[in-house]
Amino acid sequence: MKRRQGWLFFIIFLLTLSIYLLINFPLQLGLDLKGGSQLTLQLVKDEGNVTKEELEAVNAVLDKRVNNLGVAESNLQTLGRDQLILELPGEQNPLSASRVLGKTALLEFRTQKESTSSQLNNLQLQRFKINDLIEQFNISDKRNKDSLSIIKDNLAEIENDINYSSNYQNLFDNLVDTKKYISNEIANLFNKTDLSGKDLINAGRRQEQTNNNWEVLLSFNNEGGEKFAEITKSLAGTDRLLSIVLDGESISEASVGSQFINTGITGGSAVISGNFSAENARELEVQLKGGSLPLPIEIVETNTIGPLLGSKNIIKSLYAAICGLLFVGIFMIFNYRILGFVSVISLIFYGFFNLALYSLIPVTLTLPGIAGLILSIGMAVDANVLIFERIREELINGKTLIRSIDSGFQRANSSIIDGHITTLVSCFVLFILGTNFVKGFAATLGIGVLVSLFTSLNCSKTILKFLTTYQYLRQKALYLNRSYPQ
Amino acid sequence: MTLLSFNLIKNKNKIFGFSSVLILLSLIGILYSTFNTSFKKPINLGMDFIGGNELRIERICEYECDKVSPDEVIENLSEFSNNKNLLNNIKLQIQNNNSLISIRSPYLTIEESNDLIANIDKILGPLNYESKNSRIIGPKLGKKLLTNCATSLLVSLVAISLYISIRFDKKYAFFALLALFHDLFIVFGFFSWLGVFLSIEVNSLFAVSLLTIAGYSVNDTVVIFDRIRENLKQSSDNYNQTIQISVNESIRRTLFTSITTLIPLLTLIIFGSYSLFWFSVSLSLGILIGSYSSILLAPSFLIKNKITELI
Repeated sequence: MKRRQGWLFFIIFLLTLSIYLLINFPLQLGLDLKGGSQLTLQLVKDEGNVTKEELEAVNAVLDKRVNNLGVAESNLQTLGRDQLILELPGEQNPLSASRVLGKTALLEFRTQKESTSSQLNNLQLQRFKINDLIEQFNISDKRNKDSLSIIKDNLAEIENDINYSSNYQNLFDNLVDTKKYISNEIANLFNKTDLSGKDLINAGRRQEQTNNNWEVLLSFNNEGGEKFAEITKSLAGTDRLLSIVLDGESISEASVGSQFINTGITGGSAVISGNFSAENARELEVQLKGGSLPLPIEIVETNTIGPLLGSKNIIKSLYAAICGLLFVGIFMIFNYRILGFVSVISLIFYGFFNLALYSLIPVTLTLPGIAGLILSIGMAVDANVLIFERIREELINGKTLIRSIDSGFQRANSSIIDGHITTLVSCFVLFILGTNFVKGFAATLGIGVLVSLFTSLNCSKTILKFLTTYQYLRQKALYLNRSYPQ
Repeated sequence: MTLLSFNLIKNKNKIFGFSSVLILLSLIGILYSTFNTSFKKPINLGMDFIGGNELRIERICEYECDKVSPDEVIENLSEFSNNKNLLNNIKLQIQNNNSLISIRSPYLTIEESNDLIANIDKILGPLNYESKNSRIIGPKLGKKLLTNCATSLLVSLVAISLYISIRFDKKYAFFALLALFHDLFIVFGFFSWLGVFLSIEVNSLFAVSLLTIAGYSVNDTVVIFDRIRENLKQSSDNYNQTIQISVNESIRRTLFTSITTLIPLLTLIIFGSYSLFWFSVSLSLGILIGSYSSILLAPSFLIKNKITELI
C-alpha cells in the first residue's frame, strides 16, 4: 500500500509539472491552425542521388535567403534526403518567396566576344520589344480579345526575327519563354570570366535618380575587386561590352569608358541597372546575398491557409476532442460505474500528459496531429476496457475486490502491450516514411500510445487503489453493471 | 452474457458468405474503377498523388449569398483566362448556402493560382481572403507521395505480419493476417465505389487510415486469439465449444473498444475540419469491419468442420 501512495504522489507531481509546462511553454501550432504558407522544395539532380552535403549546402543558401526575406518566425528544415520544407507563418501570398527561393541565382560576369556587335544590337532590340509586349500584356484587359491578338501578332513577328518559336498554351508563358531565349542568346555572345557571385561580399539596392527604376549594388571582396578591375581594364576603350549574367540569362550589358584604360574600375563595387522594379531589385538582392544554389530546386508543393480558417480549425478540433472525451466518459461510467469513473480521471491525466509532452519535445500541433490525439483516446480507453473486463470476470468468479483488481491488471497486461506494439509499429513506419503532414499524425498517435501504457497500467491502478481505501467504495455492486448476474 | 453471444459453429457459413459478398463487392468496385472510369485506377487518386490545385475560399455576403451555378462561373472565367487546360479540367463547387467556393483544377503555378483567385473575385467577390485555403502540388511530388504511401503500407504490413508470426504459431498468424487483409480490402473497395459514384478522391490521409486500421484490426484479433489459446490450454475436450466460449468472453471487450474509438471518430466527422472528414469516415468503417472480422470471421476460421475432424 505504501508503494501505491508513492505512485499517487508521483502522478500528482507529474500532473502539476504538466500544467506548469503547458502554462510556460505554450503549444506550437502548425500552419493549418494559425494560417500561413508552406512550401515544399525539391532538389533537382539529373544524375545520381542528392548527397547529404549537397542538401546541407542548399539548406544553408536558402536559409540565408529566407532570413533576408524578413518574414517573422519563418522556419526552414530538411525533409527526407532531397526535400526542404519552408514555413512562412502569416504569409498569405508565397509568390515573392517562391521567386526568391526558386532561382539558382548563379551570377556571372562575361565579356563580349569579338565582332558580335550587330548580333548583339539586334537581340537587344528584340529584348526591348518583348519587354514592351510583356508590359502591354500586364496592363491589358484580358477580356479584350483584340488587344490580346495584337500582342500575339507582335510576338510572332519577334519570334520570326530571331528564328525561334515558343510552344506554350498560354500567351504569357510564350512571352516569358521568348524573352528568356533572347536573354540566353545575348549571354552566349559573351565569354565567361573567373569573376562570379562567389566573389561578392554584399549586395544592396537603390532607386535610380533619373527614373523610377531600381538598381542593384554589388560589393566584391578583395580578390573579386581585383578581378573586376582586370576585366574592366581589358574592355575599356573597346566596343566590347561587359555583361552581367544571372542563371544563364544576360540581365544587363554595359560599356566601360576609356578613362579606365590604365587601371580598370577599382574600388570593388559595381551596379546592375536592368530596369528593375522595387520588388525585383529586392529579390535579386536577397538572392545575391544568399549566394547561388549548388543544385537547382523546384517548388513542388504550396499550401496557403488563411488565419480565419486556421482559428476555425482550432475551434472545430477542440469541439471534436471535448465531445469525444465527454461521450467516451459517459459511456465508460454508464458501463463500468466506479471503474468508469476511474478511467475518466485517468483519461484527464492522459490528456494533460500528452499535451505537456507536445510542448516539451516539442511537437507542432497540426490537424492530422489532432486526429492522432483524438484517435489515441480510443486506444487509451481500450486498455482500460481490457483491464475492467478482467476485473469483472474475477469478481463474478467470486474473488474479493482487491484480489480481482490485482489479477485483472496482471492478466490484461499482455493483451494491452500487444495492441500497443502493433499500433506503435504503424506509427513508427509512418513517421519514418511519411510526409510532413502524415508525420504529425504519427507523432501524436505514437506519443499517445506510449502515454497510454503508463496511464492505463499505472494511473488507473493507483487511482483505483486509492479509492478502495475508502470502506464505502469497496462494495462489489459499485463495480458491476446492474444487468449483470451477481 | 446471453445478450452478447453469437453461435459461431452454427453460423459459420453465413459469416463466410457475408464476408465473401463484401469481398466480391469490393473487387467489383476496384475492377469497375480500373476499367470503366475516367481515372483508370483501382481507386480515385486525389491531388496528393497526381498533383493539382485545390482552392477553398468563402464569399463575403451581407445577408445571404445569392445563388450561382458553377457552370455559369466557369463560363465567366473563360472570359478572363485563356488557359484551355485549366478551363477544361476545372471542377467548381459552391457549398454552404452559396457561401463557400471550392475548386479543384490541374496543376497551376503560384502566379496562375493567384490569377484564378483574382478572376473568381471579379465574378463572385468580394471574397474573404482570411478564410482561404489553397494547396498546389506538383505532379512530381504526387508520384513520390504515392510510392511513399505504398511503401509505408507494405513495410508496416510486413512488420505487423512478422510480429504476429513470432507471437503466434503459423495457423493463428495466417488467419489473423487473412482477417486483416479482408478488412483492408473492403475499406479499399468501399472507397473505390465512392470514387466511382461520388468522385471522392483518396489522399495520403487515406493511406494513413489504412495503416491505422491494420493496427487496430490485428490488435482486436490478437486479443481474441489470446483468449482462445488460453482457454484451449485449460480444457481441450471440446475444441469448437472452447472457441465459442472464448469469443463470447471477448465480445464485450471488442465491442466496447470499437465503440469508445468510434465515438471520438464520430465527433470528428460531425465537428471536425473538412480535411479530416473522409479520413474519419474511412477509419470508422475500418473499425466496424475490423471488429466484425475479429469477433466473427477470424475465430470462424479456427472452427473445425465435422468432416475435417473425421479426417
